[in-house]
Amino acid sequence: MAQIKPTLDDDGVMDFVASGYVLLEGVIDESFNRRCDKLDRGAVNAFVGSDDFTHAVLLHPQVAGVARSLLGEDFLVPAGGHHHLFEAPHLGQTWHSDGLSGSGFDVTELQCYYYPHAVEIEDGPTMILPGSHCRAVDREAIAHYGDILGQLSLTVAAGTVAMTRYGIWHKAGPKTNDRRRAMIKFSYHRQAEPRRDWRIDTVEIPEYVDRPRFAYVTEVESYRDRVRRMCTWNWLCGQDTEMALRWETSRPVSELGG
Amino acid sequence: MKAAIGEWLATSRQKLQADTLTIDDLDRLADLVEEHSCQMILYLYSKSTNMRSPLASWMLYDATQPQEPQLPSQEVPYASVLAAVADGWRIVQFPNAKLFAYQGVDNDYLGFEFILEKMV
Repeated sequence: MAQIKPTLDDDGVMDFVASGYVLLEGVIDESFNRRCDKLDRGAVNAFVGSDDFTHAVLLHPQVAGVARSLLGEDFLVPAGGHHHLFEAPHLGQTWHSDGLSGSGFDVTELQCYYYPHAVEIEDGPTMILPGSHCRAVDREAIAHYGDILGQLSLTVAAGTVAMTRYGIWHKAGPKTNDRRRAMIKFSYHRQAEPRRDWRIDTVEIPEYVDRPRFAYVTEVESYRDRVRRMCTWNWLCGQDTEMALRWETSRPVSELGG
Repeated sequence: MKAAIGEWLATSRQKLQADTLTIDDLDRLADLVEEHSCQMILYLYSKSTNMRSPLASWMLYDATQPQEPQLPSQEVPYASVLAAVADGWRIVQFPNAKLFAYQGVDNDYLGFEFILEKMV
């Protein structure tokens, strides 16, 4: 049985709660990256499910360590995946989320993108919208969006793995050259009930510390984000997600002496 | 088209003064007026329903240009919807506040959608 140690601490998990992704740059060994060079596009279940891929990528200590941190003990390791391969120039995909994405405080699936080659901006990198992982939308109804303030083009080193909360908005960006741009997509899933069993220094569960608002977010959305992030943090810690907003530093009038 | 008509007017004023304006010139004007014009569409996502608000997102659909890949940008085309209007864009759809339900903590679509057009 593989012994996987969590790699994220409270701060790292809180970052993920807000942004919806973790980026592990250049972690996969170059010799394994080159084994992806002749892979055909489309379903690559046999390749992803192979022992070699499992040990080089899926159980890589840093990749699996993030999965262990966010999905708990005995998470499900993918047995298949999809090879997204682009060569000719194209306009780029439209913004979309995969499957039935949207609201909720749970983290039950990590959708991952593995890049065997370095990706430059002209190669049509995957673009993600940090913080969009809980926006409840019809994926076809965001297809007309263009540039969004705060969007992130994953221009990365070879061997990079991006790990996202399923539902984050993403697309293949516009491609202006003929260079091969490959990405292998696969997902880990949760089995265990959530609890704070990532890397911790203290037994006491800290309050969620909010992160800055993303550039595209409106005022009211930032309030919603704050509440949703606190609820997600509580869910991950195995705590009650029902919470009332209150002014933490205020006191009931009845407690004040006359 | 607007520029071509302006040019025709300038030339025709001179011809009128020289008494050389002809039926052919009027036919040319008729052709210019009937010439196909094309609608450019600009989606602007404002951070509020106020037209002076900053933008969160944008997309230009320009049918007059070849549909070729363009690298992503983080430079807003205008500071606000109002700035786009000042540059000749006409608003064809305003955000409808009734579509923005205020309940719960879930976010969905981006900003407040203004759709603008420019005829070229």
